[in-house]
Amino acid sequence: MEQPVQTETWKAQSLEELVRILHRIFSEDKVSVEEVQALMESYESNPEEWLQYAKFDQYRYTRNLVDNGNGKFNLMILCWGEGHGSSIHDHTDSHCFMKILQGNLKETLFEWPEKKGNGEMTKKSERVLRENQCAYINDSIGLHRVENISHTETAVSLHLYSPPFDSCNTFDQRTGHKHKVKMTFYSQFGERTHC
Amino acid sequence: LPSGLSQWFPALEVLDVSGTGLAELGAELLALPRLHTLLAKNNRLGGPGSLPKGLGQAPLGRSLRVLNFSGNRFSELPPDLLGLRGLQSLSLGGNRLHGIPPDIQELRSLEFLYLGGNFITSIPPELANLPSLSYLVLCDNKIQSIPPQLAQLHSLRSLSLHNNLLTYLPREILNLVHLEELSLRGNPLVVRFVRDLTYNPPSLQELAGRTIKTRNVPYARSDLPENLVRYLSLASNCPNPKCGGVYFDSCVRQIKFVDFCGKYRLPLMHYLCSPECSSPCSSASQSSTSQSESDSEDEASVAARRMQKVLLG
Repeated sequence: MEQPVQTETWKAQSLEELVRILHRIFSEDKVSVEEVQALMESYESNPEEWLQYAKFDQYRYTRNLVDNGNGKFNLMILCWGEGHGSSIHDHTDSHCFMKILQGNLKETLFEWPEKKGNGEMTKKSERVLRENQCAYINDSIGLHRVENISHTETAVSLHLYSPPFDSCNTFDQRTGHKHKVKMTFYSQFGERTHC
Repeated sequence: LPSGLSQWFPALEVLDVSGTGLAELGAELLALPRLHTLLAKNNRLGGPGSLPKGLGQAPLGRSLRVLNFSGNRFSELPPDLLGLRGLQSLSLGGNRLHGIPPDIQELRSLEFLYLGGNFITSIPPELANLPSLSYLVLCDNKIQSIPPQLAQLHSLRSLSLHNNLLTYLPREILNLVHLEELSLRGNPLVVRFVRDLTYNPPSLQELAGRTIKTRNVPYARSDLPENLVRYLSLASNCPNPKCGGVYFDSCVRQIKFVDFCGKYRLPLMHYLCSPECSSPCSSASQSSTSQSESDSEDEASVAARRMQKVLLG
């Protein structure tokens, strides 16, 4: 009988501590998805700690880099105005963790389109993630669309991607056709980046 | 709100009374001459008397720039708001609006208009008369069509139309040169040619009107009854570059698909003056046969490339 992998149970008391523990976890050769998800979920969102990264844009959601994990991961904060949503996208063979810091986000999962796809993409499931919940996705699980469906409240989420990536594919829900896009940061380490 | 508000805090600039259960905002607000931002989300506003009378003429009416009434119970855009000529940002998301009044065009300074999450079924063309509108949110409503006049909103940078009842868009939407964001998901956009669009042949009045316009028959206001002068002023140009004709009420409605490199097909509604006309906005796969047709193909393909960037991020 195989020995189960020993995973630690971390509790991050602050955003700074969360980043420190993440650096420690990712310095190892093997990283456990469950461990990272539990760690992200353990951090109780405290706006004072992340307000400096939470820069909103009137027209669309923003990506604000918090930490670049010594090249092992990207930790960023996404700010969603009322009604803002993403396209359906993949995660370029990386792990993606998404934790809600404020408000709610709806995640809709989609199947990968058929090779010769020319029909409506298939919705697998949808759920609304609440404050402090942490979701996980990778390309083998599927594709997703994330949106703030509230017309009255903004939403803020904390994302960890490992390995880091700066481009992905977006998908047209009606046809399954994909299109590669480059992703940019609205701000890095609290400073607005103009490109 | 306490009646002494404007006396105690005459310099008040921002007031947030969101989530307080307020059913009405009273006259105590009117004398706040510096108040530019009023946030009253998630309350019980919406019944008669929710807003103070004379808002447009009061000091408050001149100072207000940002108004957020999202999450209330308004079933119509409160007429008292229409006098706010300096208002730049208005949110009525998550209310119970069934329509938008044409008088919305009186909010001359409006840049940001959020009407998502209501029960709106149609958009008045007068909305296009807002010269500074850059962000328009109409998602999560019951809208069946977009008036082509909306393409006159030259400043529009972001248009949110997702989760409505749109089956097609007006061809003119390609004219929005500053558009950077356009959301269309969750609409029953047609994916196949629609065969049952009826064509009503032109009336005698229409045929006469067309002849006057295309042959440049001179006329003065004193020559014709008032209603016919007005009728002649409403002529629309046929977009077919080889036609150069006009139409009034009788036109062929045709859905053509503009194809963005095979990645995104948008059904655009074209209005042409007769079934023999063809639209300049054809998909890239159709070959052009004449110089004039290929010129307008270039125009159309530039517009299509721009829209492709918008649609595909």
